[in-house]
Amino acid sequence: MKNIHKIFLSIGLILGLGSCADLEEKPIGVFAPETFFQTPRDVETAILGAYGVIASENLFGRQFICALQFRGDMISIGNRATSAERIQLNDFNMDSNNGMIRRFWPQWFQAINAANSAEAGGMSLGLPENEINYLIAEARFVRAFAYYHLVRVFGDLPYINFAVTDPTSLKSISKTSEADIYSAIIADLEFAKQWLPNKQKNDVRTRPSAGTAASYLASVHLTLGDFPKAYAEAKYVIDNKDLFGYALEPDFENNFNATIADNLKETIFAFDFLGQISSSNGQNDDSLVPMLAVLNLTGGYGVSVPTKAVYDTWDARDYRKKVSFIDTLVVNGVKRPYTDFSTPRPHVGKWVKLPGNANAIGRYSDHNIADFRYAEVLMIAAEASAEINGPNAEAAGYLNQIRARARNWAGTQVDFPADVMPTMNKQEFINLIIEDRRLEFAFEWKRWYDIKRRNLGSQVFLGPNSLEPQPTFDPARDYLMPLPDSELQINPNLAPNNPGY
Amino acid sequence: MQKLLIPKRKGFLWVFILMLLLSSESILAQSKTVSGTVTSDTGETMPGVSILLKGTTVGTTTDLDGKYSINANAGDVLVFSFIGMETKEISITSSNTYDVVLATDISQLDEVVVVGYGTTKKSDLTGSVSSVKAAELTAFPVANATQALQGRAAGVSVTSNNGDPGGALKVRIRGGNSINASSDPLYVVDGFIGGSLPAPEDIQSIEVLKDASATAIYGSRGANGVIMVTTKRGKTGKAKVDFNTSYSSQEVINRIDLLNADQFLDYTREVIPNYVDNGADTDWQDQIFRTGGIQNYQVSVSGGSDAVNYYVSGSYFDQKGIIKNSSFDRYAITSNLNVKVSDKISLGVNLLARRTGRDGVVTQEGSGGAGGAGVVGSALRFMPDLPVRNEDGTFTLASIGDPIDNPFAVATEREQETIGDLLQSNFYLNFDITKNLTFKSTLGFRVDNNRTGTFIPTTLYAGANVGGDATISSSKNTDLISENYFTYNLELNPKHKFNFLAGYSFQKSDDTNYSAGAQSFITNSVSYWNLQGGAVQKIPSSNFAETQIQSVFGRVNYSFNDKYLFTVNARYDGSSNFSKNNKYAFFPSGAIAWNMKDEGFMKDVNFISDFKWRASYGLTGNQAIGPYQTLARFSNSYTIIDGVAVNAVRPTTVANDDLTWETTRQFDIGADMSFFNSRVNVTLDYYRSVTSDLLFSVPLPSYTGYSSQLQNLGKVENKGVEFTLNTINTTGELKWNTSFNISNNKNKVLELPDGNDIFYGSGPGHLIGLGQTQVLRVGEPVGSFFGWIYDGVYQEGDDFIPGGGFEQVAGGEKFRDISTNAGDNVPNGTLNAADRTVIGNGQPKFIWGLNNDFNFKGFDLNIFFQASQGNTILSYSLLEIETLSGSNNSTTVALDRWTPENTDTNVPKRSLQRSQRVSTRWLFDGSYVRLKNISLGYTLPSSVLQKLSISKARFYVSAQNILTFTDYRGYDPEVNYNSGGGAASNRNLGLDYASYPNAKSYTVGLNLSF
Repeated sequence: MKNIHKIFLSIGLILGLGSCADLEEKPIGVFAPETFFQTPRDVETAILGAYGVIASENLFGRQFICALQFRGDMISIGNRATSAERIQLNDFNMDSNNGMIRRFWPQWFQAINAANSAEAGGMSLGLPENEINYLIAEARFVRAFAYYHLVRVFGDLPYINFAVTDPTSLKSISKTSEADIYSAIIADLEFAKQWLPNKQKNDVRTRPSAGTAASYLASVHLTLGDFPKAYAEAKYVIDNKDLFGYALEPDFENNFNATIADNLKETIFAFDFLGQISSSNGQNDDSLVPMLAVLNLTGGYGVSVPTKAVYDTWDARDYRKKVSFIDTLVVNGVKRPYTDFSTPRPHVGKWVKLPGNANAIGRYSDHNIADFRYAEVLMIAAEASAEINGPNAEAAGYLNQIRARARNWAGTQVDFPADVMPTMNKQEFINLIIEDRRLEFAFEWKRWYDIKRRNLGSQVFLGPNSLEPQPTFDPARDYLMPLPDSELQINPNLAPNNPGY
Repeated sequence: MQKLLIPKRKGFLWVFILMLLLSSESILAQSKTVSGTVTSDTGETMPGVSILLKGTTVGTTTDLDGKYSINANAGDVLVFSFIGMETKEISITSSNTYDVVLATDISQLDEVVVVGYGTTKKSDLTGSVSSVKAAELTAFPVANATQALQGRAAGVSVTSNNGDPGGALKVRIRGGNSINASSDPLYVVDGFIGGSLPAPEDIQSIEVLKDASATAIYGSRGANGVIMVTTKRGKTGKAKVDFNTSYSSQEVINRIDLLNADQFLDYTREVIPNYVDNGADTDWQDQIFRTGGIQNYQVSVSGGSDAVNYYVSGSYFDQKGIIKNSSFDRYAITSNLNVKVSDKISLGVNLLARRTGRDGVVTQEGSGGAGGAGVVGSALRFMPDLPVRNEDGTFTLASIGDPIDNPFAVATEREQETIGDLLQSNFYLNFDITKNLTFKSTLGFRVDNNRTGTFIPTTLYAGANVGGDATISSSKNTDLISENYFTYNLELNPKHKFNFLAGYSFQKSDDTNYSAGAQSFITNSVSYWNLQGGAVQKIPSSNFAETQIQSVFGRVNYSFNDKYLFTVNARYDGSSNFSKNNKYAFFPSGAIAWNMKDEGFMKDVNFISDFKWRASYGLTGNQAIGPYQTLARFSNSYTIIDGVAVNAVRPTTVANDDLTWETTRQFDIGADMSFFNSRVNVTLDYYRSVTSDLLFSVPLPSYTGYSSQLQNLGKVENKGVEFTLNTINTTGELKWNTSFNISNNKNKVLELPDGNDIFYGSGPGHLIGLGQTQVLRVGEPVGSFFGWIYDGVYQEGDDFIPGGGFEQVAGGEKFRDISTNAGDNVPNGTLNAADRTVIGNGQPKFIWGLNNDFNFKGFDLNIFFQASQGNTILSYSLLEIETLSGSNNSTTVALDRWTPENTDTNVPKRSLQRSQRVSTRWLFDGSYVRLKNISLGYTLPSSVLQKLSISKARFYVSAQNILTFTDYRGYDPEVNYNSGGGAASNRNLGLDYASYPNAKSYTVGLNLSF
């Protein structure tokens, strides 16, 4: 081939009609992975790419967190005329082509690939541990974070912990077992806990610190039912809360106020959305607020709306109920009760009331959407402690910190909810903790995971006191979502899909 | 024509020469002077006609006015000849004046056909080439000359992807050879590779090069066929002025029967009982459609002397679309100048300057979610019980479902304007080094500027939330081409003729684009011309890309006795777009032809005028992937840290160092036949082409972090038969000509990596639950629809087949259970994704065109039918509104929905739970036969015109698309959704979603020549 090339070009030259053109490509604005990584700063730039993927419409901007909300028993579909994919996911009637999983599944793996590429780039620099490991730790944290969500939603799934350069070779891999994935998550988080700084630059909570890694370790162990380890990690975070800069916000509502989102001591890990900036690929697009907002009076989508029972069963003396709901709107100076809402139920108040700089329906808000708050560390410590030792004063003390904070009604002290005493039996005490978690984290994406890890599905969807009765709930099927059908089509070795799909 | 110059009796010649040598005026003094005017059968005077005294070399030519005079004696015979006209002989009698009318030569074999880097006589052609003449291109007004090719040439399929004014067309020559790369043909305009087409009125002819013998000279760009465009030239003679104008009135071709307000309320309250009647009864189709129109003007001045020929033309085309607020206009100037500097050197320049403007409305939206519905999509979905405006004057929004704007608001409020400026110039120099050796050099330059501005005001949903949204973007494409080649004719003796071509070509193309946008404006009045007034600035972008191609090429033609013809072509191409390991490629082809009629045994077969066999085989390429696609890359991104956007990168594309061009191997065998004195002409071709190393964006499992990787893999086959028939049915007073062409193309995937199916989705974004809608499967055509088989509606007491997400109630959709468990052949009793199968495809089985021209005493009648048969349409539009699960309006099909009282139906009941699924329920036969054009014209007799010093005047009335025979229930079967660009254009055929409907037109027009 080379010779033919020469012969023909010679003919061209003999004709004297032109010189040999240089056909090399010199692209502008495109970075080649093999030459990109020169300094730790480049590794950091690559890690930041992963956050951009997560802080987007398909994950923490809307699709993923809304899917988790639908799955739980706190939020159901308000506007039933919304797309079928949401209704089916909410009603436990989804299939493997469901549009919501088709959106968030690939996005998670883009984040993982970004983190893996950053890790590989960091390793390639050949720097001493103390100069590079804090960045490798951050990349591994992001990977662990992504897989921790994925494994809870899907169970067994493909596990990739290296930068992909030859994707074709991965077309026939099998699923990795849930247990192995959890081990890998724990290893990544342990490494992160060891090497990450105690505080990130400017104390931002949108990048992980050693405290973030320890908090997630506590959560992972709790999910796995390893209560001693869960307790140990939670206790470690609580003991070092000043080192990490963690504290409960004095006012519960602060956690959902976009205008002060960058300064919250309670946030352990969050994704930062900046007001009114849009990108073509859904990056920085948070549509959580419009999903929750009232359709007819505010122009929101009115899709994710709590069931009436959630509102009715919640003690009105609880300040958190006031923060968590919108049951009246003032429109053009006229007070409109929730019975005037197009879905005549109280709607979610968290995030919706204070979106900061955002468009008219609260999209492109200024929220930092938190996945982990310090309150949850206290809850984990309480639950794990109670599981190990039964009801005890220490565990009650953790709960009471949260209850005490709830008694600060926007600056006014009230006497509800009262402190709890460890005087009940173990199961009652655990139930109380789970119930406190349900209210404290209402409409955050914790409840479904609690239902799943505690096997509460049949009780909360089929039981007599169900807040959101879902007669089609099938415990043999519905604790896992199906892997997207498209993945099984390309790689039949992923078959069979999760049971029941 | 050569024979005219060789007297038959050699002895006479010598005597004659001797006489000439010795002659003086007095020798010929006895003869008289005869004179006259030569005109063509179309009434135009003909300069340059050769007139010869029969049996002598004495002759003359007509002057610029077509006049001649020559000395001759009574009894002499004058022979009038001109290329392309029948030769005529006149005997001199007593008269001194002989006006002669020359008839057009109907024998096509002496036609000159344009091929790559040259021309050839049709009789010498070895490849498969179809020609389309100027009259066919201008039979009715079109925005783009390509549109006029529809139905005109066998094997050439032209369909509009969308009916909007100035919208894109899909042109396929012998099917789609590719899956991921473009299958668009290569356009060569007066030798400019990749040139833009001038206005249809400025085109002399279009040749479509179809087989490898004809296209291999264009190497890595020839695989999809080549469309050679030749623009008009000035003819030697006095200045000629042509003026053409027409006006068309247009209406939407069809309407869809939607539910009215009462029907809609009934339909909606069945599942949303508390739905509040909004009180109106709006026909949204009335609100968006209007009577559109086209006005078209063109004036040209042409002429020339022996040394200089010129053709200058200006044209204006203005189309007002049938949807409010949509329009297209085009201003173009074409100027061709040819200068003969000396006997050896000639040069010239072709110029095209063009401005196009397009006011668009949103149709065929990629996603019609909140605020995203386009005009037609919204017209089909929007609630008929809502008025256009609320009481406070604002536009209504959808009352249920996604908040979409009403169709009237989408059409009239949103601004979307594209302005394109094109300048194309092509300079050539021709140097006849010796009699047989010619050097030609061309230098072409083309710059294409486009600017698009969009503004979404606060009166629309998408603009209201952001305080108005404005974007302006600009792109500029510059193309530079230099080609230099030698041609050499070698005639060893009259039996052995050779023609050689060798050349070098270099082409460079730069693309730049940039865009900026802002939101949150004080007022809607600034449109997109005050971005700085936006309180929120969007992230601007700018991009640059460059492509270079350099090539050497050559061709040898050998003709033995004019009976056996051989052609060998080759091109060696290098392209910067390809990966570092594969920059260069070689594309050879060969062909033979046999003029069988010239054989002795055919001499006496009188009813056959000509009979030629052709066969060719060769390799051509397709390099249509974008620059830099072979490189791995990190792309710019950002992330928000501490309330500030900071730079980030992330991997977006994975490398392929071995990526190369696609190669198409094509075999063609054909015959060109003429019967009954060339009154019946038949061309027949069979071809088979196999494209290998398909450039393919192979879907990757998403868990790799990538969605796809560009690879070379797999094979696609296209094979078919083409038949063209041109007949002259009657001559004389009533002239009747017919041309008919029909072609079939069978497309099939031959090979895929590891034989695995490749699935992909093409549905509108907001119907994401559709998931994968199509499959590439070995043995099936590209773009096969993939879905469930719809078995009608479940009735009470049926056995419901279980399956997550599938209905198990009476009145629900029933799908066929076809998947089996491993080891048996019995359906496994559950419905899931495995029960999908190939259910159809959008490839037509055959396409045809039938044209009849009648001429009678100045009247002309043209009837042109065009058809596509055997293609299937998958309608996402009907799927969306007739699944009966959405909160949209629906068609009147919904009136027949299942209810406990109406069970004898295959339309399911109203249900909000039902998934939208691709199934046989949404497939429709897309076959159609269309009366594309019917026109009646009258040409005023020349006796009337001469007084007005007009040489020709013709008036006509015509109608386009007024009859379409089809079973399709959508607006129009000629439609392709999600079918623009490279990959989509091949893989998505026969999809329909919210398309801009085609129009039917009534036209009046005038052609004048001075």
